[in-house]
Amino acid sequence: MSGLTEIQSIPAQEYRKLGFEKERLVWMLRKMIEIRLFEEKVEELYLMRGLITGPAHLYFGEEAVAVGVLSALDPNDYIISGHRGHGHALAKEIPAELIMAELFGKSTGTCKGLGGSMHVGICLEKKSLFASAIVGSGIPIASGVGLALKYKKSDRVVAVFFGDGAANTGAFHEGINLAAIWKLPVIFVCENNKYAIGMRVENAVATNSIAVRATAYGIHGISVDGNDPVAVHKATKEAIKIARSGGGPTLMECKTYRQKGHGVYDKALYRPGEEVEEWLKKDPIVNFEKKLTTSRIVSEEEVKILRSEILSEIDEAVKFAQESSVLPFEESEKLVYA
Amino acid sequence: MYEVIVPRLDPAMKTGKIVEWLKKEGDQVRKGEALLVVEGEKTTFEVEAPGEGVLRRILFQSGDDVQVPAIVGFVGHLDEPLPTVPIAEKMPGPLQPIKKVEEAPPRIVERRVEGVRASPLARKLAEEHAIDLATIMGTGPDGRILKEDVLRAVEERRTVAVAVSSVTPTELFKGLRIAKSIPLSGIRRTVAERLSYSFRTTVPVIITMDVDMENLIHLRESMKTAMNTDLSLTAFMVKAVAKALEAHAILNSALEKDEIKVFEEINIAVAINTPEGLVAPVVCDANKKTVQEISSAIRKLTDKAMQKKLGLQDLLGGTFTISNLGPYGVEIFAPVINPPQTAIIGIGATEKRPITINENVAVRHMATLSLVFDHRVVDGVPAAEFLHEVKRLLEAPETLVA
Amino acid sequence: MREITYAEAIREALREEMIKDPNVILMGEDIAAYGGAFKVTDGFLEEFGPERVRDTPISEAAIVGAAIGASLMGLRPVAEIMYMDFLPICLEQICNQAAKMRFMSGGQLKVPIVIRTQYSLGRAHGAQHSQYIPSWLLQVAGVKVALPSTPYDAKGLLKTAMRDGNPVLYIESSLLYRVKGPVPEDEYTVPFGKTDVKKEGSHVTVVAISRMVREAVAAAEILKEQGIDTEVLDPRTIQPLDIETIVNSVKKTGRLAIAEDDSKTGGVGAEIAASIAERAIDYLDAPIVRVAAPDMPIPFSPSLEQEYMPNKEKIVEAVKSLVK
Repeated sequence: MSGLTEIQSIPAQEYRKLGFEKERLVWMLRKMIEIRLFEEKVEELYLMRGLITGPAHLYFGEEAVAVGVLSALDPNDYIISGHRGHGHALAKEIPAELIMAELFGKSTGTCKGLGGSMHVGICLEKKSLFASAIVGSGIPIASGVGLALKYKKSDRVVAVFFGDGAANTGAFHEGINLAAIWKLPVIFVCENNKYAIGMRVENAVATNSIAVRATAYGIHGISVDGNDPVAVHKATKEAIKIARSGGGPTLMECKTYRQKGHGVYDKALYRPGEEVEEWLKKDPIVNFEKKLTTSRIVSEEEVKILRSEILSEIDEAVKFAQESSVLPFEESEKLVYA
Repeated sequence: MYEVIVPRLDPAMKTGKIVEWLKKEGDQVRKGEALLVVEGEKTTFEVEAPGEGVLRRILFQSGDDVQVPAIVGFVGHLDEPLPTVPIAEKMPGPLQPIKKVEEAPPRIVERRVEGVRASPLARKLAEEHAIDLATIMGTGPDGRILKEDVLRAVEERRTVAVAVSSVTPTELFKGLRIAKSIPLSGIRRTVAERLSYSFRTTVPVIITMDVDMENLIHLRESMKTAMNTDLSLTAFMVKAVAKALEAHAILNSALEKDEIKVFEEINIAVAINTPEGLVAPVVCDANKKTVQEISSAIRKLTDKAMQKKLGLQDLLGGTFTISNLGPYGVEIFAPVINPPQTAIIGIGATEKRPITINENVAVRHMATLSLVFDHRVVDGVPAAEFLHEVKRLLEAPETLVA
Repeated sequence: MREITYAEAIREALREEMIKDPNVILMGEDIAAYGGAFKVTDGFLEEFGPERVRDTPISEAAIVGAAIGASLMGLRPVAEIMYMDFLPICLEQICNQAAKMRFMSGGQLKVPIVIRTQYSLGRAHGAQHSQYIPSWLLQVAGVKVALPSTPYDAKGLLKTAMRDGNPVLYIESSLLYRVKGPVPEDEYTVPFGKTDVKKEGSHVTVVAISRMVREAVAAAEILKEQGIDTEVLDPRTIQPLDIETIVNSVKKTGRLAIAEDDSKTGGVGAEIAASIAERAIDYLDAPIVRVAAPDMPIPFSPSLEQEYMPNKEKIVEAVKSLVK
């Protein structure tokens, strides 16, 4: 199947009709808040406390993408992520303390402290297979995962997350083309947050859409409001259906915005102030929360409790990370070859 | 209570300077309101209030430099107690620098610059066989010394060092009639081998001194008359040498590989001529014996030597050797050092010689001491000082019998 | 013992492993319908079907990337990169991803892929279709590198590679494809990290790799007539490299020459020379020499290419310079 669909933000009134129950919606809100508070803590640990070092590409403003996609996927479906991967890792239910410990470089981290921020999301148990620090490189790898799934005649799918910058790499082209010709069950999720470090997407892509490239590969393309988790969920479900029915991959462009800099130290002063202001008004969490409280799916009190619960969980995660020890060097040398 | 923190804006930033506080202690502030201006290494920026409340405390003033990230103040309600913990403890502090392992200063091992080109294998072999590379001709490229060159040198040395017995008389003495053929065996062979070895390895240097024997002659005569003891000159020599060695121990030693071993005991070997050949039985602890004891020891050893009854224990342990060729009329001679000892002393014939004493010519009984020492171990001056001490003792022999 | 060609030996290894393990799949350009650019996989499509023998578009990065992804899920892909010259196109996937995934994931991930490639030096294919660059991978920890020189080693090493569980770059010399050699009918493997003594000798050690092993053995015959007894060693894998066997040989002979199709600067020989100098300096009676290609792109003109290439005559010259 190949076509191009567009999914706008979905008003709260439609939730019931679309089969979204309170449990699902609360999970979504909780996850989005968890991601936001986690990233805020990480930012604090870097800038205010000086306790972590290295790169950190934070997910501020993009929470609805990770949460929307992971909400639609089955826990046994696979994901591959990139350098801006904290959000996907948390949405895939990797415990915050393991992610935090990895950021601190401790042996209790997801990768025993050997990967760092750009690879925190590697957790085989949770079927979060890999996160590449090289922009775009995860795409052909995801095609390979899809190849294996199809070969084994599995019902499962794999979703790979990458940004608007990655959409211009050779790996994007080669990987998607391969999945297209072999009709592999891959969902290519492009998080178009409008910036690749300082490069505005309008200057890097000649068309005003990345989803439209799907047509060129002969696969299905979806353009979705990336700040609405329910819309992203719906789009993902569409892609899963196509994949499971042998229809092959989908290229899903989630339009969102990178609220802060590229990395934790980047003040992103190259962006026009009005643009930032405008997108801040479209904050996915603020708006989703408002939708849920307005339609009385949750109360403000419940959300407040939610927030404080999450905050203390995150504090626990930091404590866990600080108290953990570092892997002895000789142990790390043993992990080069199987 | 909120902490007002000056953040570390990039990983390389170390300090920030507070340019000015925009609020003062006691001011009500809103969340996000600018509290102070900080000058970083690259930019100047504002620090905002982390929450709503009163600016309760300012910890650093305008003009202060702080190490980032740094807590510079507190915002909170009036009824909240201020943190009492000292600031240094409260501030989490920057990342600890990785502990620098104190490295010991590198030991510079001086490699001997040979000036000689040799392959590494050749060098190793030369060292093992104690051959000086400078004495080997290299046949490799540009005259490089190779393994085969070293092995060739080792073989040559071995053939040269082979005992006398390998020299074939038939070739060297072709045509001559042999009167008698004496096999090189027993003491003769031992002497040949040991003295060859000594000559090959030591660096012998001879120094001589003349000794005035008058006092010693008189002493011997008076002792013969008074106590009926006939103490040989050799006995006095042994005592004098032993006593001198106490103060000049470096000559009482042996060079073994890379170490000069200076011995505690002073065991003097006395060269004795037997019909079978030269032997040198040992008078042990000669410095602790009286001249009489030494004399009787020598007599016993001589008897044993003549009767071919010397045992291994009589011949081992010598640290210095004495040879007396005086009775045979020899004045000066250079005896061969008894390996592994460092030196040997010979005494020549006592005879009347004209000498000068205080501008006047006199005739005195004189004898010449010949000291041969291994220059690898001892230099000329210490050897001369030792020999002088021997001379002094022999010229004041009453000290030897005291 | 029966004799088969180097190419047939590789075929057999692939085929036997595919029969034995249904998780083994092949992917590469023209390996299915065309039967492989060098006919190594001829007939495989008919025997194993298009699910297991896959023709790919010209997408080296995706070929290797997909192989990696599939291996994470338990498949055992063998990817073919048609010419070693194309390796730089997928070097990112090999060096940044495959080589490091196990380490970066704290040991969670396993990437059991084999990348088969060949080099065509000697067939006048020009600078972009003749390169031999194994030393590029030597520096990347996490990838093993195998270079068979005989049909026996080709089959045994490929089986080991396919069972190893780590990324393996398996380098074939296309000039050897038609060379015949003894290969047992029964099941056997050749271990990684075991230098093979191809010929014993006592005067000089010659370490040779891939195509140069035959040249070295031929050179040894020439040298024998001149009274020089040459020992020829074939490391077979440069990662892991069995340096101990080479050290022991040098201790015996005191002289070392390394023969390779690499350019001299930064080639595998440079690494071996440095290792030997480090471990066996006291046993060297002569400098270590490398018989390698000059530092330049490979000229097309066939006679120029022949001059460019290292060969048995150059090995003979080098050995003679060592013996004086």
